[in-house]
Amino acid sequence: MTRFVLKRLGLGVLVVLGVVVLTFLIARVIPGDPAVTYAGPHATPAAIAHARQVLHLDKPVIVQLLDYIKGVVEGNWGTSYRTKQPVLSNIGTALPASIELVVAGMLIAVLIGLPLGVLSARFASRAPDLGVRVVAVVGVSMPVFWLALIMQRVFSGSLHWLPAAGQYNANLYYTHPLTSYTNIPVLDALLTGNWAVLGSALSHLVLPALVVAAYPAGLIARMVRASLLDTLAESHVRMVRSLGFGERALFTRFALRPALNPVVQVVALVFAYSLANTFLVEAVFDWAGLGSYAANSLQALDTPAVMGVTLVVAVTYVVLNLIVDIVQALIDPRIRIQ
Amino acid sequence: MFTKSRLLAFAALLAAVAVLAGCGSKQKPPGATAPAGGGGATGANSTFTYDTYTQVMVGWDPSTSYSNEIIAMHNMYQTLTYYNSQTKRLEPVLATKWSHSADGKTWTFQLRKGVKFHTGRTMTSADVKASIMRTIKLNQGAAYIWGAVKSIDTPSSYTVVFHLKYPAPLGLISSAGYAAYVFDTKAAGPESKLTAWFNAGHDAGTGPYTVQQWSKGAETELRLKQFTGYWGGWNGTHYTRVVYQVVPTASTAAQLLTSGQVSWVEQLTPQLYKSMQGKPGITTTSAPSYQNLFAMLNTQSGPLANVKVRQALSYATDYHGMMAALQGSFVASHGIIPSGLWGYDASLDSSRTNAAKAKQLLASAGYGPGKKAINLTLTYTEGDSAEQTVAALMKSEYAPLNINLTVQALQWPTQWAKAKSTNAASRQDILLFYWWPDYADPYSWFTNLFEAQNPPVYNLAYYDNSTVNSEIGKVEEVSATSQTQAAAMYQQIERQLIADVPALFLGTQVYQRAYRSSVGGYVDNPAYPNVVFVYNLTPR
Amino acid sequence: MTAVGIGAGRARGVLRRLGHELARNPTLTVGAVVLAIVVVVAIFAPLLAPDPTDAGNATHPLSVLQAPSSAHPFGTDELGRDLLTRVMYGGRTSLQIVVEVLAIAAAIGIPLGLIAGYFGGAVDQVIMRVTDIFLAFPALLLSLAIASVFTPSVGHMILAIAVTWWPWYTRLVRGEAASVVRRPYVESSRTLGVSHARIVARHVLPNAATPVLVQISMDAGGVLLVSAAISFLGLGAQDPTPEWGLMVSQGASYFSTQWWYATFPGIAILITAMAFNLIGDGLRERLDPKRVLSR
Repeated sequence: MTRFVLKRLGLGVLVVLGVVVLTFLIARVIPGDPAVTYAGPHATPAAIAHARQVLHLDKPVIVQLLDYIKGVVEGNWGTSYRTKQPVLSNIGTALPASIELVVAGMLIAVLIGLPLGVLSARFASRAPDLGVRVVAVVGVSMPVFWLALIMQRVFSGSLHWLPAAGQYNANLYYTHPLTSYTNIPVLDALLTGNWAVLGSALSHLVLPALVVAAYPAGLIARMVRASLLDTLAESHVRMVRSLGFGERALFTRFALRPALNPVVQVVALVFAYSLANTFLVEAVFDWAGLGSYAANSLQALDTPAVMGVTLVVAVTYVVLNLIVDIVQALIDPRIRIQ
Repeated sequence: MFTKSRLLAFAALLAAVAVLAGCGSKQKPPGATAPAGGGGATGANSTFTYDTYTQVMVGWDPSTSYSNEIIAMHNMYQTLTYYNSQTKRLEPVLATKWSHSADGKTWTFQLRKGVKFHTGRTMTSADVKASIMRTIKLNQGAAYIWGAVKSIDTPSSYTVVFHLKYPAPLGLISSAGYAAYVFDTKAAGPESKLTAWFNAGHDAGTGPYTVQQWSKGAETELRLKQFTGYWGGWNGTHYTRVVYQVVPTASTAAQLLTSGQVSWVEQLTPQLYKSMQGKPGITTTSAPSYQNLFAMLNTQSGPLANVKVRQALSYATDYHGMMAALQGSFVASHGIIPSGLWGYDASLDSSRTNAAKAKQLLASAGYGPGKKAINLTLTYTEGDSAEQTVAALMKSEYAPLNINLTVQALQWPTQWAKAKSTNAASRQDILLFYWWPDYADPYSWFTNLFEAQNPPVYNLAYYDNSTVNSEIGKVEEVSATSQTQAAAMYQQIERQLIADVPALFLGTQVYQRAYRSSVGGYVDNPAYPNVVFVYNLTPR
Repeated sequence: MTAVGIGAGRARGVLRRLGHELARNPTLTVGAVVLAIVVVVAIFAPLLAPDPTDAGNATHPLSVLQAPSSAHPFGTDELGRDLLTRVMYGGRTSLQIVVEVLAIAAAIGIPLGLIAGYFGGAVDQVIMRVTDIFLAFPALLLSLAIASVFTPSVGHMILAIAVTWWPWYTRLVRGEAASVVRRPYVESSRTLGVSHARIVARHVLPNAATPVLVQISMDAGGVLLVSAAISFLGLGAQDPTPEWGLMVSQGASYFSTQWWYATFPGIAILITAMAFNLIGDGLRERLDPKRVLSR
């Protein structure tokens, strides 16, 4: 077991290192003269020369790469062209809001996707199955940025059920000031018992979280269905069925648990995927998170910021993958041998 | 719930009628009490929420401030004078009186007494001198406006005398939107620590409001609270708090306004603006700005160096169609000086469209349909939807004349760098950009855009006409002593420019504002772009 | 496997089998029919569109942002262009992107996978660790990062997406290749001195073809969505190129007042992505039922 964990950890570190190298290549090698990019488009020759020094472009590429890796490890991720602040501190400010959004989205996705998948498998090839499969395929084919616009337009613009954008009603500041611990309004409001802000924050969270949930919900429904049908076809379940257990018992006691294993994996992977998808959702809902930061940085061609965000999301992805692998190995010893 | 709110509304209506009946057409005297009833907007605490679409406090230093923070700075800081765009005259603020010598080279300002900085100190002539000297010394942002100043004297605590190198309209300059703030240079102790102190989110002005909270990057970026020691006093009805909310999406801003979460919206799309008109509880106003859109034509190299081709281009431009496509967010320009600024001349016609004449001019230069094709590149600032629309229209309008326009959207720094390249061949043929003055004077357009510059800075038409150069060289000194005479000179230059076409005068932006009807007394002043002087408003 | 020399009779047989297949597999059928419509509209856009010049440089400043009517069934945009025309032409752009991305990705990914799987050892290790690194990025993220350092255009976007997409095929083909190589008849061919190229062409490639085909069909929808997203963020197609993601982005600022502008291109993306996904699902069920959904 220890050997397996160590090996996976080793591979994980290797991949993270590779990710850093790849972002280095994209930021420094592709654009031609990175000093010009770094110094900004209207830089004077002196500023470009300075950039050359800062980036150590006079040194061999290998040295540059090592310096870059050292910077990343030490938390020196460069300065954003747009905000003129350290990229890492920008990301630190923006990340909590995105985590709030993605966690809420994943929660909704599981709550919708899991029952739909079970329903679909239970009535395989019958009407409910067909319905669920159509919904699931719509979910995974939906352009999220368009869904965001439609949801906002319908539920906020036309029906006035939910607020259009933002994280909570700013006017509550004077009547119900919120003390910030985590920078996640829902959590802060819960911790401090600020119910007015909590209500407002939750109502602001619903629409963007639903949009973030669309793709994972479709994916989870499809995964659960496929996984359940696989398990039901396996010999031990067939045996249980021949012993005379009812369909319901079959599902809940024998098939569901093993069928959920790949689903857990998908949830973890899709988490990082959704973090990238917030690039398309947050801007629509004026959600001040990593996605808005990324979208603005992309539009401003703010390379250090873009690479910082890329790094954070990719590393999140790798780490989650690692955790899932290790946890699954702990639960299911068979995986270790593979 | 429903009946209660109906009752409240009825009471408010009654109260409003009573106030109207009582006051008649007279102005409300200072110190009058707030009208009764009407919910939470009035009374001891009322909040004005300003909705903007991008970061507010780009810089905090009143000497170097030259960006979006102007919308908040003017509520924290004040200037010696104020330009009223309605009367086209200067009004006293921190200075009560000013006068100049006959040659326009010595200007004397009498200061208001009893003005307190937010730091608690009382403002004297030494502070005015120290503020402006610091701005001149740092020499950033709009500091160039003080370029004529040779020295500043403070003969008494409330008298400031400016000695100039050459005649300049210092009364107007003192009303500038940027770089003319008076502040407490001793706010952070030694002056060397001042910049850092400002940038941490502090202010040291004399204005009616002062910083309460600044959260960079947050949706609610800045909160101001009333400064109780304000020299104007707090009698009468005023907003006591100002909140700046950053809402990047216009449709969201519209919804926040409709639901009453913001008081005033800086910018909507023309379509949203139309949809706001006539909505209950919302007032809309539109006013032309001082910001006009130019297509600078490369007069030095390429086909546009030929004046006939430039004239043809102007005739080929469908100005009327452009204004239609921009849906009311722009109005046609009459030359350079916008309406609302002294020197404006409505009789100038710089937007004539005549396809036949365009063809004829092109033919005489050897171009046009069936003849040699003209290939031009146009650059505009990425993300500016009005410029994008205009560029697309120009491209399709010129195509039938055998003119191929290549349109490039660039970030402004890139666009500008390309325009300034030392290699004339890599410059663009047409460049779209805006200009607006830093104080209420036409001079800034003429000297920056059309006076010969080597190397070019903002004269991105690379225009060099000796008559125009010498007229521009004279006009500022004339305006120091006689605005009428200067206006005539400006109009003469404009006629020359319209004939020579170093640029197309595409249009002037229109401010389309939507705000809660509870905001009383709002008037746009294009001399202070997008600034709402909140103290002057009356919450209703 | 060779496409050369299929006789007329065999072609008819293939068609008949295809007909059978479609009847038995409704998922595939619906997907194929919808995609066929999209393709036909895209190909014949110059004949079908009300005003083909509106897909290019034409502008009509006096008829901007008009609501849907008989003259303009999808309304007009901020330059007065007919949106039906632009949505039809948008299909051309999108199909071009999908086809080119998948072709480039397959052209890079499949050979690398074959090499890794067939030779194994250090080569395999190096290639697979590199794919691991690429696969550590969500596809949208890496494509955006790469696209952001180029001047935005359809061509650069295709490149950026293709660069992020090839590792999927490498990993897939490598697995297939590695399993084939261990089979006795391949090993004996090797000892008999049959050339590597021949073994790969005769034994390895045909085995990998089916899963790759399934994977490609399943990926088409994903590529479409990623490309639309990149254009939505302004890093892909540029006006006046008609591209659905870009059109949604341009229409977004008018969405609360002119609903039609962003709505129709969005529907076009949804329908086309669905068609691709249905075909992918259908092919998978039919050809490779054990395959698990990977993304």
